[in-house]
Amino acid sequence: MTSQATLKQADVIATESTAGKVQISDASLPQFEDRANQETKYTTCYMCACRCGIKVTVEDNKVRFIQGNPNHPINKGVLCAKGNSGIMKQYSPAKLSSPLLRKPGTERGAGEFEEISWEQALDMLEKRLSHIRATDPKKLAYFTGRDQMQALTGMWASQFGTINWAAHGGFCSVNMAAGGLYTMGHAFWEFGDPDWDNTKYFMMWGVAEDHSSNPIKLGLKKLKERGAKFVAINPVRTGYQAIADEWVAIRPGTDAVLALSMVHVLLKNQLVDDEFLIRYTNSPQLVVNTPGQKGDGLFYRGESGQPQVWDLVEERFMDANLPEISPALFGEFTMPDGTPVRTAMSIMLEKYLDDQYAPENAAKECGVAAEDIERMALEMAHVAFKETITIDVEWTDWAGRKQDKFIGRPVSMHAMRGISAHSNGFQTCRAIHLLQVLLGTIDCPGGHLAKPPFPKHIPPGIKPAKEMAPNTPLKSPPLGFPTCPEDLAIHEDGTPMRIDKAYSWDAPISCHGLMHMVISNAVKGDPYEIDTLMLFMANMAWNSSMNTAQTMDMLTQKKDDGEYKIPFIVCSDAFNSEMVAYSDLVLPDTTYLERYDTISMLDRPISEPHAACDSVRIPVIEPDRDVMSWQEVMVEMAGRLGFPAFSTPEGERKYESYKDFIINFEKEPGIGFLAGYRGKDGEKSLRGEPNPRQWDAYEENEGFFEMHLDMNQRYMRHANLDYLTLAKEAAWVGSTDQIVIELYSEKLQKFRLAGQGLYDGPQPTEEHHKERLVEYFDPLPFYYMPLKEQRIDRDEYPFHAVNQRPMFMYHSWDSQNAWLRQIMSQNYLFMNRIAAEREGIKDLSWVWVESHNGKIRVQVKLMEGTNEQTVWTWNAIAKRGGAWGLSDDANEATDGFLMNHLISELLPQKGDKVDRVTNSDPVTGQAAWYDLRVKITPAAEGETGTWPSFSALKPQPNAKPSPDMLSYTSHENVNLVRPMSDILTRGEK
Amino acid sequence: MHPAFSVLVFTVMSGAGYGLMTLMIIGHLAGLPQLLDSSVLLSGGILSLALITGGLLSSTLHLANPKNAWRSFSRFKTSWLSREAVFAVLFYPFALAYLAAVYLNGAEVTGLGLLSGIATAVLAMVTLFCTSMIYASLKTIRQWNSSLTPVNYIALGLMSGSLLLAAVQALVGDGASTSLTSLALTLVVLGATCKLIYLFWIGKPAGSTINTATGFTQASVRLLDQGHTSNGFLNNEFGYTVEANRLVRLRLLMLGLAFVVPFLLILAANTALLVIAAASAIAGLLVERWLFFAEARHVVRLFHGDQTV
Amino acid sequence: MKLGLVVDLDTCVGCHGCATACKQWNTSGTIGPLSDENPYGKDPNGAWLNRIRTYEVDDSPNSKTVNMPLSCMHCDNAACVTVCPTGASYKREEDGIVLVDQDKCMGCNLCSWACPYGARELDPGQGTMKKCTLCVDRIYDESLPEDERKPACVMTCPTKSRVFGDFDDPNSEVSQLVRDRAGKQLMPELGYNPVNTYLPPRNKPVVQTYEPKSVVATVKGWVNKVIAR
Repeated sequence: MTSQATLKQADVIATESTAGKVQISDASLPQFEDRANQETKYTTCYMCACRCGIKVTVEDNKVRFIQGNPNHPINKGVLCAKGNSGIMKQYSPAKLSSPLLRKPGTERGAGEFEEISWEQALDMLEKRLSHIRATDPKKLAYFTGRDQMQALTGMWASQFGTINWAAHGGFCSVNMAAGGLYTMGHAFWEFGDPDWDNTKYFMMWGVAEDHSSNPIKLGLKKLKERGAKFVAINPVRTGYQAIADEWVAIRPGTDAVLALSMVHVLLKNQLVDDEFLIRYTNSPQLVVNTPGQKGDGLFYRGESGQPQVWDLVEERFMDANLPEISPALFGEFTMPDGTPVRTAMSIMLEKYLDDQYAPENAAKECGVAAEDIERMALEMAHVAFKETITIDVEWTDWAGRKQDKFIGRPVSMHAMRGISAHSNGFQTCRAIHLLQVLLGTIDCPGGHLAKPPFPKHIPPGIKPAKEMAPNTPLKSPPLGFPTCPEDLAIHEDGTPMRIDKAYSWDAPISCHGLMHMVISNAVKGDPYEIDTLMLFMANMAWNSSMNTAQTMDMLTQKKDDGEYKIPFIVCSDAFNSEMVAYSDLVLPDTTYLERYDTISMLDRPISEPHAACDSVRIPVIEPDRDVMSWQEVMVEMAGRLGFPAFSTPEGERKYESYKDFIINFEKEPGIGFLAGYRGKDGEKSLRGEPNPRQWDAYEENEGFFEMHLDMNQRYMRHANLDYLTLAKEAAWVGSTDQIVIELYSEKLQKFRLAGQGLYDGPQPTEEHHKERLVEYFDPLPFYYMPLKEQRIDRDEYPFHAVNQRPMFMYHSWDSQNAWLRQIMSQNYLFMNRIAAEREGIKDLSWVWVESHNGKIRVQVKLMEGTNEQTVWTWNAIAKRGGAWGLSDDANEATDGFLMNHLISELLPQKGDKVDRVTNSDPVTGQAAWYDLRVKITPAAEGETGTWPSFSALKPQPNAKPSPDMLSYTSHENVNLVRPMSDILTRGEK
Repeated sequence: MHPAFSVLVFTVMSGAGYGLMTLMIIGHLAGLPQLLDSSVLLSGGILSLALITGGLLSSTLHLANPKNAWRSFSRFKTSWLSREAVFAVLFYPFALAYLAAVYLNGAEVTGLGLLSGIATAVLAMVTLFCTSMIYASLKTIRQWNSSLTPVNYIALGLMSGSLLLAAVQALVGDGASTSLTSLALTLVVLGATCKLIYLFWIGKPAGSTINTATGFTQASVRLLDQGHTSNGFLNNEFGYTVEANRLVRLRLLMLGLAFVVPFLLILAANTALLVIAAASAIAGLLVERWLFFAEARHVVRLFHGDQTV
Repeated sequence: MKLGLVVDLDTCVGCHGCATACKQWNTSGTIGPLSDENPYGKDPNGAWLNRIRTYEVDDSPNSKTVNMPLSCMHCDNAACVTVCPTGASYKREEDGIVLVDQDKCMGCNLCSWACPYGARELDPGQGTMKKCTLCVDRIYDESLPEDERKPACVMTCPTKSRVFGDFDDPNSEVSQLVRDRAGKQLMPELGYNPVNTYLPPRNKPVVQTYEPKSVVATVKGWVNKVIAR
């Protein structure tokens, strides 16, 4: 404490003390911070997937303070617990510091490595990859975890020529993304937001913290200030639910019942927005009604190829896409050729007015009281139809007609985990969207708003690649949006082309892939063996796999010839994760404060509903280790392997670095990874030729680009020509045609017909595939019991077991963070107090939790705010000793537990063909890790500590030992000294 | 409250030392025949100083930053701990002057002996009172925030002092003296009475609850999460809990060692047994002091889930 | 001037953002560093100036979860200051902020005993007492942009559940909030007169239900309306 100053009396002046502002000064205080030695830099947070703007104060290459950027569109100055703990990520002793090669002669998993140079590492990788690419590109399986650079990695995989690429969406959020994109062209998740400024009734389905963590928090505050009602539907009441005005303790996996029962109530009372349905959805379109025949359930198409409607004024059939027609919403008709048809809405009425969805029956299934279901539906109807808001702005609709106002039905919703991780999540998500659409709350003031580049046409027009050839890029990206069985990535005989069996009959619309199946399938050689598994930021040897212990075992399994079943595993990570020990080649990544990065419009941008935005990361700290960002490795490898898009026509390497690539790469003329500051002089937005100073421009603009939409482009964008014209210019959509909301999904029906054997195109041969298509590819959302529950004895396993991440760790890549782990380094199994008392289970006692797949021993904590049939825990708290810089006896290793052990990646085994089917949503392949059911029995006297436990991992050869005492400071602290005279003379006051 | 061993040793030893010194000086100045013996007085005085000094040194062991210990004299105006420190230091010159007078002049009371003796006795009691007020002044701990706390500290300090005095006199002087053993007997009874009143009093529920702590006074309140999974400073300092059966056993042990055993041994009026009685009382008071901390329930516990304190 | 915080229990979601922002600012701040013992080992335990606790109020099924951040209340009657023997703990006359002079503290813990709110924690590495400074090294720092002259916890709070201001000024935002929302002091019976005030959860908003129209049981009950597309 070198610099000292003493305080004098009466130096403090409070000037102008008006509401909300305190301006004070105290001349006697010392200078606490050496501002001359400090520098402020702007970049983007990466402590989770929220991507907040941060302002980082640095002194002597050390981080003084990370704060939210007040000008940033996402977080507007605020920052969560993770973002505020970035310093401890930067200074983690678990950082990898040079490339590592598994020591020859040692076993995978033993964690014995030797340091090698980057040149050696890259040469080795190049040699391996170039051989695979020249022989059989699919032998490279490339999967990424919590990254935000899928536009680059996906393009890299395409250029390499392997279809075996995906990110972690298959076990995260594909149900939400697909549910939205196949219904309304945007989605919950990252593609839409409630209109926080105008909504009067907000319903949150599931959700722990979610990708937009700070925006949700900022939004909830706005609701509360305005007195809007906030209803939380969730079996568990923590975090957001804690401040809900109403908590609905639903039974897990039954949200579709609740949503569709509310639909039932609305329909029964004729409380739907018929104008919205007629103008913006396909509900008046005529569906062929010929059960058992080809074409059944498809839209009747006229000579123009357009679906037909019955015009009430003209009294004849007309093309559904015409303006100024007056389609009948209800009715059964016979087409001139004798085909019986009925409107999609008529089918909906029949389906949802069924007694199955009557509140009193729904209540039995989902555990929400019938009168509450009825009341909530009628409350929402009241707000939507009696508390309508209008915004008087002239806009042009899709047909070029001027409209004088936006009509807002201020009911909004948000949904995420919970819904997403059940095997009925896709249809559940569609059910919630159906509820929103019937109320007319899509992209209207107060409703659920899309975020540019969404909405897109339904679904986005990219088809998954399926043809591969040596040394040849794919014709389309590995992942896309199938609309019919022809789009599946299957061979003639119906077997899957992809290693994860995405786009196969197991999971036809698996638009995010099935990362959770890769290791299991590759080890079994089902559908085939691979050579190299390349992972980025994916902890598959621990919490990112279902069935963790068996996955670790699979990673070390060998063939008869002594070679590993997965011959070569490459991983890139900044930290010594559990996966590192199971890799053969480890490429140390930079931290988020040390790298260039883009959060691109081509990927999952940071846009807000009323502004198109993207952002960058710019290094604020010099790395002190021999590390290279994965982005650089990608561009380097692409250059070395001579990918066409990364080479000049002469075959020379085109981009010297990642920065260079980002500036100069154009997907189509004028469209690149960054949408801002384009054009020679940086004046163009969205589209424009490359700007050599683009990175500087982002740096000068605090690391982000934000283009506000004009008032007339802000709502009803699925049918707003003013917006669609801009969207086409920006290459967000392919045409300015109206995006017609698909309540009735003909695309799903095509798969169902294939299952029924009524489809002219690929059809499954296996009986269970046929059954799944018929059952689950309902063109209208419906409820079905989660698949795992269907295959176990529900009485034997009476409790649902779910998990969520705590807010201070959600989507955080490093819960070894020295500050965050103090908040939680042990997880408990939470149980409803009353249910536990019934079972004779005491608070803080140890219990066995057993599923069809295995058992674990854990400590119980009782609480009030949990559904009585549900137990839950905070996930990914448990860590393996030695990993992440933790000591062997860290609480995470001795007292933390993973529920993953109880979950299998396949459905419960019954000795039938379904045994081989993934434990996932049958439509999207979303890992169904919320479908778990368990039984709970008290542990015997003296049985304490979590089980199973695993041996500690070894430290890396170059690892710094973790300190026993940490006293981080970026400078010598300047103490505020109390003068001796004050000490000796002051009395009580 | 976490019973810090150094603090237990400090309060018990210095309490006994101050009690011993005070009673001895009073007896001496009052002309009690058994105390008109300079070797008894010097032995008692040295024992007292040793106990007090040992106690004070022990007390510094619980300081996390002892290099600033000297600063504890500065806040005499408001801090009982500061006052204790000041008086404890002030005590030494007078006590040494008194003992010097005895050393130089024998048991005969001189002017210096009288003045320094009175000052020493008063400062001993004031210091002991200040020590007790450190605890008694804390509104956060109901079990301490009472006039019973200084009464107990002084009564038990005098009690243990009287036992030590009787033992020293018996050892150094010519065997057990009835007047000193009677005094000890009386003080043991008084001490036991005070302690029993205290134990009865802390058993009655009163004060803050989890409801007043959280502001939710209309319904039950339960802790779900304290915000950290490993124990922090507050848990370690305030979260100490004695299991109910163990508490009963320790209370009985305390009553036996501190009061019953000394009482019975005093009756025997045997030198060796008096020494044992004093040792038993000191041991009992260590348990008593341990319980004084262990049974004290700080209101911070309410934030950590306790319903009452 | 009487500076302090208002904490809104109606909107706090218990994210711990304020707690880590506080840790981050203050470990390099005037009373820093804030040490952490066993940061990567068993039972990690550091000095924090702000802790978030979660309670469940009332019994199932009517219970409610309440997140409660707790830090120094900068009490009017700060017994922690009264008991401090070294004079390290003091309450600033200018603005009422209670501080610990790190150069003078001897680590006797007595102030933490005197504090009913658990606001003081001994630094395991430094041996001195740490507590909330109300970011005295931010709020007066004229080299910071005006909007940032606030405690780190207030700046970062994602639900804006923390408000900083002068409780002596009846027109300040904090004073108004306390009046409008019936702000509460914690453990008022102890007489510490804490400055920080907690806003209790709001009453639930009342939403009307749509008066049911004619109830239809079948598809046939619906009548088509002429609505131009």
